[in-house]
Amino acid sequence: MNTIVCVKQVLDPEIPPAKFKIDPETKQVIPPPGVPPVISVYDERAIEAACRLKDKHKGKITAISMGAEKAADVIKHAIAMGADDGFVLQDAAFENLDSFGTAYVLAKAIQKIGEYDLVLCGRQAADWGAGEVGSILAEILGIPVVTFACDIQAADTTLRVKRLVSDGFEVLEAPMPCLITVSSEIGLPRLPAGPRLMMARKKVIPVWKAQDIGAEPAKLDKANAHTEVTALSVPTRKTECEIIAGATPEEAAANLAMKLSKLI
Amino acid sequence: MTLGLNGYSDGGQTMDNHKGVLVCGEIADGKLAPVTIELIGLGRKLADELGEQSSVLLMGSKAGGLAQEAIAYGADNVYVAEDSLLDHYNSDAYTQIAANLCRQVLPSIMLLGHTDIGLDLAPRLNGRLGGGLAMDCIALAIDPATKLLASTRPVFGGNAHATMVSKSARPQMATIRPKTVPPAACDASRQGQVIPVEGKVDPAAIKVKVVERIKEQAEGVKLEDAEVVVSGGRGIGGSQNFAMLRDLASVLGGAVGASRPACDEGWVPARLQVGQSGKSVSPKLYIAVGLSGAMAHLAGCLGSQVIVAINKDKDANIFSVAHFGVVGDYKQILPALTAKLKELKSA
Amino acid sequence: MSPVSATYWGIPGTIIFWVLFAIAFGVFLRRSYFLYRLLRLGKPERRSDRIGQRAIFMLSVVSSQWCALKTVGFTDLAGLGHALMFWGFGFFLIGYVIIFGVSGGLGLSLPPAFEALYRSILDIAALFVIAGVIVAVIKRYIVKPKRLEREESLKEKMIMALLFTTMIVLMALHYGTEALKYAAYHISPSPIIGGLLANSLTSAGLSPATLSAAYTAFWWINYVMLLGALVYAPHSEHLHPLFSPANIFFRPLGPKGALEPVPAEETENFGVSKLQDFTWKQLLDLYSCTWCGRCHAACPAQLSGKSLSPREIILNLKEHLLEEGPGLLNGKAEASSKLIGDVVAEDALWACTTCGACVEACAVKVEHVRRIMDLRRNLVLTQNKMPETAQLMLRNMQSRGHPWAGIQSLRLRGDWTDGLDVKVLADGDTADTLFWVGCTGALVERNVKATISMTRVLKTAGVDFAVLGEAETCCGDPARRAGYEFQFQMMAEQNIETFKSHNIKEIVTSCPHCYNTLKNEYPQYGGDFNVVHYTQFIGKLIAQGKLKLANGLNSRVTYHDPCYLGRYNGVYQEPRQILQSIPQTNLVEMARTRNKAFCCGGGGGHMWIEEQSGTTKINQMRLDDALKTGAEQVVTACPYCLQMFEEGIEHKGIKGALKVQDLAEIVEAAMQPSESKGAA
Repeated sequence: MNTIVCVKQVLDPEIPPAKFKIDPETKQVIPPPGVPPVISVYDERAIEAACRLKDKHKGKITAISMGAEKAADVIKHAIAMGADDGFVLQDAAFENLDSFGTAYVLAKAIQKIGEYDLVLCGRQAADWGAGEVGSILAEILGIPVVTFACDIQAADTTLRVKRLVSDGFEVLEAPMPCLITVSSEIGLPRLPAGPRLMMARKKVIPVWKAQDIGAEPAKLDKANAHTEVTALSVPTRKTECEIIAGATPEEAAANLAMKLSKLI
Repeated sequence: MTLGLNGYSDGGQTMDNHKGVLVCGEIADGKLAPVTIELIGLGRKLADELGEQSSVLLMGSKAGGLAQEAIAYGADNVYVAEDSLLDHYNSDAYTQIAANLCRQVLPSIMLLGHTDIGLDLAPRLNGRLGGGLAMDCIALAIDPATKLLASTRPVFGGNAHATMVSKSARPQMATIRPKTVPPAACDASRQGQVIPVEGKVDPAAIKVKVVERIKEQAEGVKLEDAEVVVSGGRGIGGSQNFAMLRDLASVLGGAVGASRPACDEGWVPARLQVGQSGKSVSPKLYIAVGLSGAMAHLAGCLGSQVIVAINKDKDANIFSVAHFGVVGDYKQILPALTAKLKELKSA
Repeated sequence: MSPVSATYWGIPGTIIFWVLFAIAFGVFLRRSYFLYRLLRLGKPERRSDRIGQRAIFMLSVVSSQWCALKTVGFTDLAGLGHALMFWGFGFFLIGYVIIFGVSGGLGLSLPPAFEALYRSILDIAALFVIAGVIVAVIKRYIVKPKRLEREESLKEKMIMALLFTTMIVLMALHYGTEALKYAAYHISPSPIIGGLLANSLTSAGLSPATLSAAYTAFWWINYVMLLGALVYAPHSEHLHPLFSPANIFFRPLGPKGALEPVPAEETENFGVSKLQDFTWKQLLDLYSCTWCGRCHAACPAQLSGKSLSPREIILNLKEHLLEEGPGLLNGKAEASSKLIGDVVAEDALWACTTCGACVEACAVKVEHVRRIMDLRRNLVLTQNKMPETAQLMLRNMQSRGHPWAGIQSLRLRGDWTDGLDVKVLADGDTADTLFWVGCTGALVERNVKATISMTRVLKTAGVDFAVLGEAETCCGDPARRAGYEFQFQMMAEQNIETFKSHNIKEIVTSCPHCYNTLKNEYPQYGGDFNVVHYTQFIGKLIAQGKLKLANGLNSRVTYHDPCYLGRYNGVYQEPRQILQSIPQTNLVEMARTRNKAFCCGGGGGHMWIEEQSGTTKINQMRLDDALKTGAEQVVTACPYCLQMFEEGIEHKGIKGALKVQDLAEIVEAAMQPSESKGAA
């Protein structure tokens, strides 16, 4: 089974909300110093899903990431978990692309890679969180798409996918090739095994530019963007929290109970 | 393999020939879904601001019977696709029907609920039609100068709000969570057109088939409807400890929720997840236990009337949004709280 | 007169003597060689450095019986009993060579005066042996202390019974044979006790012929028994008399707290999953175990009810080696039972806090902790199996550079410096002295207080130091102790580069785990810095007069020795000296203190890896130790210990009764005049 996994390197979502800063002029987030970027949490699950399929069915996993040169770290992370190789898609023209632009770039890269049975993405990016790129990518590639997968099993030419819905699950059968977006309910991703960690660290990850993948400048032109961000702001939330105290935790709890019983 | 199949367009078509609002409606248990009623109201409002028409697409064998009701809520046109293959959501089928309709009707704005269906359908439609999509919007407005739809949505786990527009790509699409906008007012005297959708679902277009549906029975009150929610986070530390939250919830007649880390750990089922990648709740009382209050979680519960926080760390972000708080170990606080509430209840 | 000079059924006694000896010795050698070959199943390991030092240590420790005597306490006199047995038997071994070998086999007659003297020594030595055996029997069968609590197999029971019986019988034979000899042949001078016994035999009225015949018989029985013991020794599983001196000789000479890196040649199977993955020294440990169970009785995991017993791991592995060894030597590919799983349980491996109490308690220098770490490495690096709590922590180490998953939503690494006048190193800056804060001291609220206290102390003393602020990443200790070796290596190399880029010479740290890793393990990767723990640093500042601790503490305090500072690095005195230099401080010791201190439960990754459910929490047990002293405050010098005590106090609901403080906080309070408290 040949699988391609799309992964994104994002600002670490785990920072104190008070430290979250933006520049309203450039409409960018200002990362707090000293906090390294991380792999988007759902993309890590997508790699895990790919590795589980490879454990059972052998095959090849290729990881691709559109981002800065440091995005090589997430490719290495993917390789340490079990991917065979990967590429970083980095070009000035790729910066600040919208969902359509991103999907287009990924599609051209996948076209360059060649044959595949399955494309895996996280259900949404941990930063902008739109949850669109996977489906748009599937439409561009002309393959079926299943979203919010929490389990994927392969059999001959089809995949049996368990999908999350608000009151339970659906089980679907999808033909290959197809695209699946993965949700965190698939379970915890594996710890990169010892030897792979060192091997991945030493690997040099190739960088593909716009011309390497044959991306048309018109499609990357910001003037042709499908959506653009016109404003970015941090909502101010000011609530005065009344801390309910007590000599012991139990006493504080009793005081809270009294307070609440008046409300409900 | 060539790109550009299935109508993927590069967004370069003219937007002048796109007019009006189209709401992609949902039918639940043979009735219009509450979120659809809300969206019809919103669609009406946006269409009025633009001076254009508002339409609704209903899919499924019950669609025809609900058309009048949709008109009463504010639709000028109701497009009805009465096909039993559309009775249960199927991604390929719904995308096919909705996309074809859009290519005929050419709406300027398209609205969907941020629901199981909308989360899957909206991005696919967007990909197929080449429009511009904003997911999980908290506010929609027409810019008076440009007449463009400005969609505001939470990003970075809710730490920031981004406003997006589509200058040229059409349709301008948005998904909105249930209970974000008020339901439409019903006016039975309203008039409108009921138009059957041309073309049936092409079975060959259905590549992905639903084989099974597994409903998880929620014990007690449903999370989305509960008046009281007791929610646990990473600080709970294990699945057996959630029993304390269940006890408190049952005394208060409420439901149990959880943050994503607690669900990812497997301490509670995924459907209890409250937050940006889970459910939105707006109960009277929301008690956050062992929850740091990461914005991604708060995105799901800030609509609550009263938020109470119980956390060991006084610096936890939850205290900046809570109305009441107790700093301490929930293992000692919760049982005492439950006991006292029980006592006061019986008094 | 000598029994050997007679002829038996036509065969000269000398021939019989030497033939028997040859057979016995041959069997002894053959079996010993087999045991040696089993050791060769293990991987090579260099333990032959500093041979002179090793030899002197081994000879002095074994002959003085310090190995046994160090275990003696008011309630545990078994070590004394062993010393008596050992010395007694030592004289006997020489005696046997003289009496049976020289005078018997070689037929050389000994000067009577010399013989009487040496036999007198043996008479006393025999009393030692008998006394030792009595102590051992009382301990093992009547007192039955915790360390000897064991489900012994019938084989083991028989071995011990045989051992005790043989020793008593040999002593009896000594007296008997001696008495008969001196009674039969009226030799003068006679040995002290032997002579008295001989007199009573003579007075009993036995004829010289009877006495002489009895003497000959006793002599041969004694000889045969001796040979039997020689043959039996390597065949029984009670191998420590033969191998433990070698184990002491080959003891580890490096720093106690350092684990070895995974050898660079290893590419597939990491750590230990089968016998052949152990080194020969680790297999030698298995022979050398004396079955005393002191490791078992010192282990905090065991004492709190976990399934881990260091003794059982060693003894089960020994049995595994003896059972499977022959097959493996013959070329069998795999043992029939799995090492991890059948012989040693996985959850036992994860229960270890690496406190080192087992290694400290062991008389013969068995290395338990290293073994457990090797098995963990296999689980994590090769099998990818670990408790979920461990995995969560290790994934966070990998992606965020620290073990505290989730804490970043509360505060960031560099936040503790906010509002403080502390020099934070930027790219290109240099500093001689670096204050290395550690992950816990920077990220966990309670511990940040101690960090801030420390900076205030350093500033008041006028120390010119810098911190790395947000550029600090984990020293790597939690990863290494959880078996995730390659992550550790990456972090170590990264940190060493950072230190070198700032030209750091000296590193002062608050955390004993960081201290141990930076000092003892970073040299493995080229990082050689002068690493000091803050208790040593503050001690020096006080001695230099740069810090005056004038404010009285007015409190009864007890000091808890962190395992990684005390047992691992021998820093016991410095923290106590600091406390005692503060006026009005009443320092009391817990029952288990210094090198016998009981772990707080936080090491070996256990700040994050959950303890086995349904068992007592280790920190609760240590808290009880502190409460028993009647102290109002517990003082410690480790962030994990601080967390563990705080959690224990909270859980027990005794916040008002007992306070836990980091030594830095105590020093800060003591150094400032009461009016200007709080100045940064």
